Amino acid sequence: MKPGIALSIAAALLLATAASARADAAAGAAAFKAGQCTACHYTEGPAREVTIEDQLAKTGPELWYAGSKFQRPWLEAWLQDPKPIRPLKYNSLTEDNPGDHPVLAAADAASITDFLMSLVSDAVETGVIKPKKHPKGRLIFTKKMPCSGCHRFPTKKPFKGGRSGPSLVGAGERLNPDWIYAYLKSTKVFKPVRMMPVFVGLLSDKDMKFVAAYVASFK
Amino acid sequence: MSKLTILAVVVASLGLPAVAAAAEVEVMFKFYCAQCHGLGGKGDGPNVSPDFPVSPRNFTSAEEMNKLTDADLKNVILDGGPSVSKSPMMPPWGKTLSEAEVDALIRHIRVLCACKGKQG
Ligand code: HEC
Ligand code: HEC
Ligand code: HEC
Repeated sequence: MKPGIALSIAAALLLATAASARADAAAGAAAFKAGQCTACHYTEGPAREVTIEDQLAKTGPELWYAGSKFQRPWLEAWLQDPKPIRPLKYNSLTEDNPGDHPVLAAADAASITDFLMSLVSDAVETGVIKPKKHPKGRLIFTKKMPCSGCHRFPTKKPFKGGRSGPSLVGAGERLNPDWIYAYLKSTKVFKPVRMMPVFVGLLSDKDMKFVAAYVASFK
Repeated sequence: MSKLTILAVVVASLGLPAVAAAAEVEVMFKFYCAQCHGLGGKGDGPNVSPDFPVSPRNFTSAEEMNKLTDADLKNVILDGGPSVSKSPMMPPWGKTLSEAEVDALIRHIRVLCACKGKQG
């Protein structure tokens, strides 16, 4: 085969793959709408919340950066078996999470996962954070900063962490390590209005990377 | 200027918006602080299980809250527990809230304890 032909075949293949990924995402977007998911989740950025009332009016977390936030295998499995992530009911401080999230069949879960994984944010740099149980990250998470006061985390100690934030048990399978760092660093992009304190300027960039790598190691 | 705007200006100069501000402060307190200090400020928020390392301050205790000046409150809210040799479980809010918002929260805490705090 002439190199020119080989190249154009490769290019055609690439184009076809890209086109089918787009088609899958489009089918997923339709399934997302048909499944009434839009009643509780918005999927177009940028962040819409300006006031506390805006945040409290929401009935589910925003998903416009889902493709940067989640790991695909976790997402596809969770949609079929949605075990509670937030210990408390969304936007409540008094009621427990009822664990009543809609459940999807495998085919819908796959197609909606294609759609959600196509929603990415350019505020997330890839390949920056490698999961690591670094003692520095542990020190920040459990001693220097109040992270454990609001987040459940894997530990053998009696104190398993607070309940007002999403549980970080299993964060290593659920969250993209690079997104964890971006979430700490670019507060305004992902959650302009949030119950979690802003740590920019309190944690150095290095420490933010240590703690992100530590959270990314949670089983 | 419409009659309504004139009315709004008059109302504003009478200082009535302070009432609206108090409601806003309560929303802020419930959003940021109640996670640990509880919706009513009793130190019983949903994060506080029996094994929580240190109990968050009960803001309704005049006895406890009278030991602290408003300046003490401001320091700990802006810079967190360790800045006043207290627990790191009390977060630093200085990068999240403005000074004016913190001042408003302090006034709200003084309403909760029905106390003026240590003077000076
Ligand atoms: C009645 C409101 C409601 C509807 C309808 C709904 N969700 Fe959710 N969704 C929620 C809430 C609340 C959570 C948080 C659950 C938790 O923390 O356990 C959530 C969480 C999620 C998450 C994880 C997000 C995160 O940040 O943790 C995904 C992904 C998701 N939903 C997808 C869907 C899809 C797909 C559909 C449609 C089939 C759907 N949801 C329908 C309310 C809803
Ligand atoms: C005062 C409570 C509080 C503290 C302290 C806190 N968080 Fe959070 N965190 C939250 C809440 C609540 C959320 C959910 C979004 C929101 O409203 O802020 C969250 C979200 C997160 C998320 C995203 C989880 C998801 O599934 O969306 C990560 C990662 C995280 N926090 C890590 C940390 C780290 C690391 C620290 C310490 C440096 C920390 N948090 C300190 C309350 C807290
Ligand atoms: C993650 C849990 C948590 C959150 C959220 C939190 N606090 Fe605290 N706070 C604590 C704990 C724990 C203490 C007690 C510290 C100690 O005694 O060592 C405390 C103590 C305090 C004190 C008394 C300090 C002293 O010198 O005795 C004030 C004032 C205070 N908090 C204000 C606030 C305000 C205002 C907010 C909201 C903007 C807030 N806190 C949010 C956990 C929290």
